[in-house]
Amino acid sequence: MGQTNYRSEDDYALERLKDILLRNDRSELDELRSILHDQKKLSEKVSPIIETHLEFLKENFASEYKVIINKLIDKKLKTSEQELLDLIYPSLGKMISKYVTLQMSTLKESIENSVKSKFSFGRSMKSFFTGVKESDLIIKDAVVSTIEEVYVVQRDSGILIANASNQDSMDRDVVAGMLTAIKSFVEDAFNKDSQDLEMIEYGSYKIIIQSYYSFYIAIAISGAISASERSELAKKLDAFAETQMKKFIGKFEDSEEVLSKLLREVFIDK
Amino acid sequence: MTSKKVILTGSFGVGKTSLFNQFIHQNFSDKYLTTIGVKVNKKTLSIKDEEVSLLIWDIAGEVTQDKVPTSYFLGASGIIYVLDLSRPITFENIDSDIAFLRKLLPGGVLKVVANKKDLLTAAEIENTIAQIKVPVDVVTSAKTGENVIELFKELGEELI
Repeated sequence: MGQTNYRSEDDYALERLKDILLRNDRSELDELRSILHDQKKLSEKVSPIIETHLEFLKENFASEYKVIINKLIDKKLKTSEQELLDLIYPSLGKMISKYVTLQMSTLKESIENSVKSKFSFGRSMKSFFTGVKESDLIIKDAVVSTIEEVYVVQRDSGILIANASNQDSMDRDVVAGMLTAIKSFVEDAFNKDSQDLEMIEYGSYKIIIQSYYSFYIAIAISGAISASERSELAKKLDAFAETQMKKFIGKFEDSEEVLSKLLREVFIDK
Repeated sequence: MTSKKVILTGSFGVGKTSLFNQFIHQNFSDKYLTTIGVKVNKKTLSIKDEEVSLLIWDIAGEVTQDKVPTSYFLGASGIIYVLDLSRPITFENIDSDIAFLRKLLPGGVLKVVANKKDLLTAAEIENTIAQIKVPVDVVTSAKTGENVIELFKELGEELI
């Protein structure tokens, strides 16, 4: 019993000591509790800290979170490639359109400057005698087109009659066959009133096709070709068909060498 | 050198492209890849001291031949009509198909080829051929290459 009293006195003394030593701490703890449970007070205390951190993030976000963001973007790109493409595609189209317009404006400007600053007597004379507009001649000078290959092909069978080329390409007989197959397919699938496929275009490469009764001529051109150049080429092809090809009608099989040489002279080495 | 256009035609999955690949490249693949549109390739054969270049048009298979664009057949000297010995459905319409092709190309050489002989026994082949409504010219296996070169050589000989 005496021991119990002793303990109570001891406890009492300890409690008193705690009161003396922790009085300030306890009052601060009470104050903190009141702040923590009162939203308005808490907001007043925390807001400045958040604002300061937000200010810091505004300045340093990229450097602080660069690695995490890069990882997230990589992950997103891998998992939702198609989705991202769908989102980017319309903007990409606009960007390309804007770029092309800009380049066309630059080209136009360059041509206008060329007209203003460089009067070319030769060009004017050429324009006068050939009937080709001087502006077309300037465009032709600015963007060069080159005839890379010429094929003369039997219209129905797709068998190559003759060809001339600037470059090494795959087997010409197979090219002529596939070209005829594509031509037949397009004409069969979309033909409503006996029209012929006249051009195949891919990138800066064009294949211009001119069909005649028993054969057709296909010309592969790299670079830009203006409307007047194309019309000029069509006339040249007609003239070739009329003056040269008619000599070989009915004997195509024995004419490959002679015709190929002619094609080179007229279209490639011109 | 003489060039001749040859058409490979028939129902789908009968092995036209496999015959084409076996003849041109001497290879065979078990993978089935359907032909889209048409594929053209060339092989030159030496027949009776003459070089003959065969331009082979491997046409996408159709259940009946009147579904194939007729312009593909224009100017062809030969037609190889392929059927699959293991699938009777591929020669169900053979009589009307052959009549259609003969009308389309009256002067052309036409070969009826029964392919995939490696899938049947000799007795089964005999029994199946007896059921086919038109005479079969050559029985081939594009897989083993049996009779493939012979088919094209025979055709080449008839074309010159």
